[in-house]
This record gives sequence, C-alpha cells and structure tokens, in this order.
Amino acid sequence: MQKESRAYKELGVQRNLGLPKESYTLKESGLQKFGKIFKTFNRGGLLLFFFFFFLALFPSLFAPYSPSERFIPYEAPSEAHLLGTNDIGNDILSELVYGTRISLMVGFASACISTVIGLSIGLLAGYFRGWTAEVLMGFTDVVLLLPKLPLIIILGAFLRPSVWILILVLGLLSWESLARIVRAKTLQLRESGYVKSAQCIGFSSFHIMCTDIIPNLVHVILPKFMLATASAMISEASLSFLGLGDPSLKSWGIMLSFAFSRGGFIRDMWWWYLPPGLCITFCVLAVALLGFGFEPKTGVAKKEVVKLQ
Amino acid sequence: MISTAVKKTFRYLSSFALIVSLNFALPRLMPGDPVKNLIGEDVYVSDLVIEELRAELGLNRPLLEQFLAYIQALLRFDLGYSYHLHSPVAEVLQERIGWTLLFVGVSVGLGAGLGVFLGAYAGWKPETKLSRGLSCGFILLSCTPPYFLALLFLGIFAFKLGLFPFKGFYDTLTLGSIASHLFLPVSVLALFSASRNFLILRGSVIQEKEELYALYARAKGLYEREILFRHVVKNASLPIITLLALDFGFLFSGALFIEIVFSLNGMGTLIYDAIIGKDYPVLQGAFLLIALAVLIANILADFLYAVVDPRVRRPA
Repeated sequence: MQKESRAYKELGVQRNLGLPKESYTLKESGLQKFGKIFKTFNRGGLLLFFFFFFLALFPSLFAPYSPSERFIPYEAPSEAHLLGTNDIGNDILSELVYGTRISLMVGFASACISTVIGLSIGLLAGYFRGWTAEVLMGFTDVVLLLPKLPLIIILGAFLRPSVWILILVLGLLSWESLARIVRAKTLQLRESGYVKSAQCIGFSSFHIMCTDIIPNLVHVILPKFMLATASAMISEASLSFLGLGDPSLKSWGIMLSFAFSRGGFIRDMWWWYLPPGLCITFCVLAVALLGFGFEPKTGVAKKEVVKLQ
Repeated sequence: MISTAVKKTFRYLSSFALIVSLNFALPRLMPGDPVKNLIGEDVYVSDLVIEELRAELGLNRPLLEQFLAYIQALLRFDLGYSYHLHSPVAEVLQERIGWTLLFVGVSVGLGAGLGVFLGAYAGWKPETKLSRGLSCGFILLSCTPPYFLALLFLGIFAFKLGLFPFKGFYDTLTLGSIASHLFLPVSVLALFSASRNFLILRGSVIQEKEELYALYARAKGLYEREILFRHVVKNASLPIITLLALDFGFLFSGALFIEIVFSLNGMGTLIYDAIIGKDYPVLQGAFLLIALAVLIANILADFLYAVVDPRVRRPA
C-alpha cells in the first residue's frame, strides 16, 4: 500500500506537469490504453462481473425453469428446486437468474442518462466559465442538496410503477457529482496546448469539446459511470422493497420485498430472502470494483465508494 | 469571505425554494385528478365532498393564486390533512419525527466515532491483516442495501438467537426498554455510517501521514499514537464533516428502510403506510420535512467547518 501511494504521488506530480503527459496519452492507441487499464483491474471483481453479465445475457442457459412456471408453493430446497419455491410456486433459482438482467439494465440505463447529463453540464460549465458556469454549477449545488431517495419515493408513488420511469427518475437525479468532476477536469484541459491551438486554428467550441476534451475525460467518467450504475442498482432494490418497483418484471429487489411481505421471512425461509440480497450485494460489489479498476490510482480509489448511495 | 457566504446563502435559499415548488407542483402535474392527488387515492369520500374540496383547495383558480395560498398555509405550518389517518399532516409528522431523529442522531454519532477510529487505524497501518480485513469488510458493507443488512440482523439476532425484541421502540417507556429495542437498528445504521466514514478517513490519513508535520512530530519524539490522534486525524477528518452533512440525507433514507424492517413507529413506517395507502399529503409533508432537515444539517456543517478549520474563515 505504501508503495502504491508513493507511486500515486509520482503519478500526480507527473500529471501536474500537464501538457507533455496529456499530449502523450493522446498518441496512445485505444487498444494499448485498454490493455494498460485491464492490468489494474481487480481479478475477482472482473470475474464476478462477467458471471453476472452472462447470467443477464443468457438466462435460459442457467435457469432450470421459466420464471413464470408454477410448482407447489413454499417448498424447501430440493434436487428439483435448488432454492425452493416461493408463495405462488415459482422456482426461486430461475427467478434469481432472470432478475439479473433487470437489475443490471436499470443500473446501466440510468447511469447512461446521468452520465450524459453530468457530462454536458460539467463540460459546458468548465469550458465556457463566466456566468454560464455560475448558473450551471449553482444549479448543480442546489440539486445536490435535494434528498434523492425521498424524492424518488414521492415520484414513484404518484406515477404508475414501471421500469422505464424508474430508470428515468434515477438517471435524472444522480448526475451532480459527475458534473463537478468533469468541470474540474475540463478547467484543466482547456488551458492545455492542443486546445489552445485548436482554438487558434478556429475550430468551433463544439468541435473542440467533442474531439479534444471528451476523449481526455474518459478515464474520469468511466469510474463514475460504474459507481452510478452500482448506486442505481441499490436504489432500485430499495424502491422495489417499498413496493414501488415494476411487479411485472421481477428484479432482485422485488423478490426480496415479496419474501419480506409474503411470509418468507416470518417462516424463516432463508433460501427465499438470502439469495436475492446476496446477489444484489455481490453484483453491486462487482460493478464498484470494476469502477475502481478504471481509476488510475488504486490506493486512493477506495474513497470513491462512499459516493455509492 | 462575505461573497462566498452570500453565495452559499443564496444557494440554500434557492434549494429551499426548489423543494417548496416541487412540493407544490407535483400533485398538480402528475397524471390523474389533482383533487385525488392532493387528498390521496383509496379514500372513500362522496362526490359532493370532492367538489367541495375542489373549491376549498382552489384548484380551479389561477396557479399563482394557488401558489400564494400554498405558501401562506406553509407559514402557518399547515401541511394539509390526511384523510387516511384523519388528522392534520403536521401533527402526524410531529409525533413521528422525534423518534426518527433520535434513532438517526445516535447512529450517526456512533458511526462517525467508529468510522474515524477504525479508519484512522487502517490508514495509519494499511499493511496489517486487521486493516486489510476492515477495508474489505467495509467496502462489502457499503455495497449492501441497508434494509438487507437490517433483515439479516433481525433474522439472526432477534429471531434465531432471541437476544433482542424485534418490534417497536419500547414495551414500557423506560430507558432500558428503549435501549434494548433500539440496539439492533442503531447498530445497523451505525455500521453503514461507519463504512462511509471509514473509507474516507482511511484515504485521507494515508495522504496526510506523508506530510511534513507528521514527520516533524515523529522527529520531536512523539509516540505513534500521539502523532496519529493529535495531529494527523485532526487534519484528515475535515472531509468527514462535509460528508456527514451530505450523508445526512442518505442516512435518513436508510433509516426509513431500517425502521420498516424493525417495525419502528417513526417516519419510515409512516412513509411505507402512506405509499401503500396512496396517502399523498403525508408523503409530501414527509418529503418537505426530510428536505428541510438535510438543508439544516448542511448549514450546520458549513458553520462547523469554519469553526474547526481556520483556513476557511480567512479570505483566500
């Protein structure tokens, strides 16, 4: 750890020198960069992530039954049903496998929305400065102060439960920290040589932002994107627990909520409430670890986990 | 200094304005009949009463007029009437918020203490097995949904082992009874709060211990423990203050879920019942109150920050 933090310091010093390093990274091909990044990943996190990813892609390969097929309700784990059955007789293992896709989809989709919003606001505020920045960052600070989950609860209660609304609301309410980081980084980048030269040549601001600034923001955005995904997955699980999820698409949160409200917990059916909870935890962990992997500085990266929820 | 204070005040005020206008706009914007949205669905009232209410709530008057009426009502602490609970929302909330604040306050305090102490240790000696274990544990913890951990605790300690009661705030209104009822929920929430503080403090101690003042303290011949707790932790824990304030909203929401799991009669169960019964006035009142609490926590943190760190007070 000590070595790592030293290495980070050196890295930091190099980065502060600014121009040469930045222009150097530009010349690297995407593949080289990816290879470099790949080495820093936590192997366990990567494995875990791909496991869940395959579950989400090909649920029919892993699930023994269809999630809507019905058997005898409230059965204990047996050879036919490895994790037993729930109150209406669905096979819990199959439900679990099919739930992966929904949880991951909600996470990634809402992270996409929040990344696009955060990126645009941070980029505009950082590039144009002046009153644009004042207004945009003021707005960001104001939104940052809103308590997210209670607001989502209210919106969820007014609107009909649906995955799309959930994704939209989660995405629209979680972009502030990304906007701040992007702005800080853009402020740095806009002073660099290649941006200045592009301005002198007379490229439009939009063109400069797209071709010169955004590519250099990727390593700031990616970890944030993964953390946004992780936190959206937790929020989805929490909202589903309150009965605000989409009951027609059974995510892990909804399974857990049903296990709690329909007697799985009182009857001490651990095979009903434990697996979805553990799945949420480990899937979020995998996504978060992947996010740390994108960070260039491994030692300090763990701080970021706090932004999760 | 003055300009930043003005800016901050302005931001807090606009935040407050945004919260109030959201609260005003939501029932009127959302799909469905605004009367239903304002009094809650699943309420059995006759059509006559609905028409009366429509006139009384002024829903057919211009929006600006409605907004002014709404602000006036707010200034009188009138948050509407819950047709489910048959009492004014303000009263209901008043009854519940005290317990929740007690619950959250105790947990946040404990969590901050635990997180700072363990985080300082883990940052000071990141190589030891104990700190590695702690880091892994707390990272895993921060990836768990709060209510799932609450469920596990309830299942293991209350149902299986029977060590603690599993329902309510108290049997009899004595300190012992309240303490034994609150022990499990408080420890769950404190662990969550601690996990966030731990990770922040660990990172910041790792950075701070390389600074020259730590080296100087060591050169003076101070004990390791003294360097850590008298010098390094003081500087390293500054980010915690900001975090505590921003976290307050998160912890408050986490507390809601934990309350539901442990059937504590606080804001959480109130909101849960309101969601199930579509009792919108209660939901809105609760949102307003929570938002206000978060806002106040942030203002307090700003003051505290200026008190603790003299650099903030000095003009840049």
